[in-house]
Amino acid sequence: MSLVALSELLGATVRDASGTVRGRVREVAVAPQEHPTRIAFLIVNTTDGERMLPSASLKSCGATVRAIGDASAWEKYTASDGVLLLKRDLLDQQIIDVHGRKVVRVNDVELDSTPVNSHLALSVIAVDVGARGAIRRLTQGLVPAFTMRALLERIPPRVIPWQYVDLLETDPSRRVKLKIVYEGLSKLHPADIADIVEDLPAAEREAVFETIDEEVAAEALEELDPKVRVSVVESLDSDRAADIVEEMDPDAAADLLEKLPEHRSGQILKEMQPEERNEVTQLLEFGERTAAGRMTTEFVSVADGGTVSDAIDALKQFEGSREAVATIYLYSAAYAITGAVPLVKIAVSTPSTPLAELREDAITCAPDTPDDEVAGLFDKYNLVTLAVVDEHERLAGIITADDVITMLRHAD
Amino acid sequence: MKSFLKSWKARLVLLLAVIGPGFITANVDNDAGGIFTYSQAGAQFGYTLLWTMIPITIALIVVQEMSARLGAVTGKGLSDLIREEFGFRLTFIVMVTLVITNFGNIVAEFAGVASSLELFGWSKYIVVPVCAFVVWALVVRGTYTSIEKIFLTASAFYVCYIVAGVLAHPDWKAAAFATVTRPEAAGIRNYGYLFTVVGLVGTTIAPWMQFYLQASIVEKGITARQYRASRWDVIVGCIFTDVVAWFIIVACAATLYANRHHDIASAADAAQALRPLAGDYAYLLFAAGLFNASIFAASILPISTAYAVCEGLGFESGLDKKFHEAPVFYWLYTVLIVMGAGVLLVPRIPLVYVSVLSQVANGVVLPLVLVFMLLLANDRELMNEHTNSRGFNIVAWTTVVAMIVLTALMLITHR
Repeated sequence: MSLVALSELLGATVRDASGTVRGRVREVAVAPQEHPTRIAFLIVNTTDGERMLPSASLKSCGATVRAIGDASAWEKYTASDGVLLLKRDLLDQQIIDVHGRKVVRVNDVELDSTPVNSHLALSVIAVDVGARGAIRRLTQGLVPAFTMRALLERIPPRVIPWQYVDLLETDPSRRVKLKIVYEGLSKLHPADIADIVEDLPAAEREAVFETIDEEVAAEALEELDPKVRVSVVESLDSDRAADIVEEMDPDAAADLLEKLPEHRSGQILKEMQPEERNEVTQLLEFGERTAAGRMTTEFVSVADGGTVSDAIDALKQFEGSREAVATIYLYSAAYAITGAVPLVKIAVSTPSTPLAELREDAITCAPDTPDDEVAGLFDKYNLVTLAVVDEHERLAGIITADDVITMLRHAD
Repeated sequence: MKSFLKSWKARLVLLLAVIGPGFITANVDNDAGGIFTYSQAGAQFGYTLLWTMIPITIALIVVQEMSARLGAVTGKGLSDLIREEFGFRLTFIVMVTLVITNFGNIVAEFAGVASSLELFGWSKYIVVPVCAFVVWALVVRGTYTSIEKIFLTASAFYVCYIVAGVLAHPDWKAAAFATVTRPEAAGIRNYGYLFTVVGLVGTTIAPWMQFYLQASIVEKGITARQYRASRWDVIVGCIFTDVVAWFIIVACAATLYANRHHDIASAADAAQALRPLAGDYAYLLFAAGLFNASIFAASILPISTAYAVCEGLGFESGLDKKFHEAPVFYWLYTVLIVMGAGVLLVPRIPLVYVSVLSQVANGVVLPLVLVFMLLLANDRELMNEHTNSRGFNIVAWTTVVAMIVLTALMLITHR
């Protein structure tokens, strides 16, 4: 096997079996529907228009491309959305480096050519984002090829293996045809996804949020810079936006909807499931910078007469965020809050222990408590969660420590 | 009184809220290089060069509007677009050219700093390094954005030129006539004349402004849909710039030229233009205004250059990155400032001449950047229905050709 750079291949003269020059390579195409990495054909500029030279008829490639058989067998090229054109779609474009967790620009593409039976199998193996590709592109045609090769070998390569490359494509139907699903990106931590998305142009951001899984999108959205977050949601259609907002923590969702223009947030709410919509609208009624605006309505609570095993059952059924399970709240027959049990105590106690034995006093605040007082309570009592109670001492929601950290960091 | 203050304050806040990237760019445009070039034009040629202002304004509006539209429609910076559409080699050439011309502009900004503070008798050997460090730190620490509004407010200083222009009792009729008259043919054989014309175009339609404006539009998140408002922001900004430019030329013509003071060698000379307004305090007013304009532009130019180059060539960039994550970005930024300021420490360097020269270089490089912008703005695949109108293309291509011809004539007449 040997490496061929895309920039070397582009513009190379193409000779057919008889040795006659037939034209020059204009593009290199991959058909992801058939194979994700294999080169399907080269587009050759011939005197008779653009022709497709199938990779199965390649004999050798480099500065000259030699083909098996006669040029008359090459079909005419017609533009199609379903093929990835390496020069147009990849070279000089931005891609997501999933492994390095950042957005990078492609300087060159590395192809592997391996002889198989009588022809060459050509496939994409990596993209070059370093100085090697850059200098090759810069000096090509100005410096003799062998000098250039010797020079380039001294430069340490900076390449991203193809499996870690996520392409950016803003046209949704083309994304489907090219099978771009942001698989690698989706597996990253939501905070890393957010960092990457912030580095992208608006249309590409939209593309990512249209494509990735709703749950991942929701978590990534929560991590985005507030300004970017609003613009992303505004660019999505209401249906898709609603799907993502449903997956968000209700407090974060309320926060977000509040910052959207009223008609937009209305449209999104309309598209949401009734249950999630109710939670969010409730939160929306409170001021944004109060305990109620910060709280989530997803928490774990158990009747105060119960045992540890009741608490474990409640935890098993809980679908909210992990931060919220740090404290299990107890309520009386009248649903008034009567105490709190830290998760640790549940973990180290036998299932039959009555919760009353593990009970601690719950620190609570009213829904209209302003942000700074909320932060003050967390500081004073070293809280992980804070209960927000209504006028009947009933638990309305909880604020978790991560909400407070976010709040303090964006205090301006 | 209190309510007056309150309403005045409210109005200011409102004004600052609607001021967009177009207006800011226009203000930064009247930087040290600009002030010196306009002053020199007025002092040396009187009203003769006023004819340039109308064509320059039209070209400026067309060019800036193109930058803003490219940014709003594509959501990408100019260097990103050049890279994606024209490949690595051309991008590299444009970037090297941009770094060289922008470096000249940075030198001009620090020359503005040095010469303005020289009026107070402060040595440039102290103020230039200090100011360079302050600018470097302001931007790297992110404090810049919070003081941008101060700079912007302080650029109200330009109004002084309008007042000074009026108070100098210029020959209004001659000035107005010179503005609408056609250029005299003798100019094309006069090196000094051509040099100044190229400088006037270069300082008003500077290549770096196109990169900066487009980047600001993208950063503000302005999209094709919200673009209509931005277009007005751009147009108003352009007109404001050139009205100020017109008055600087007129003020200098009515004072310096009228007194046969044809050569501006230092800021002290240029300050004389404000004498009708401020009398003996003219130099104070001029120094403050020039200092603000220079520092304002000096805070923007190096960082905007670093962004453009790194984005075009694919290096990590951004102030949110750490030094070791984006070494090229930070080094380029630092070197531009250190070298730009360092050049001025050469003893007896002619500050004003260097500033004007950098603006002439802008004018020479302008066609190169314009051609790329024109090709991009007419690319249907990129711009959809937002491609250039025929009128825009005519104005922009005429500018390209005119600048190439002017540059060629300038080189021929030079000996």
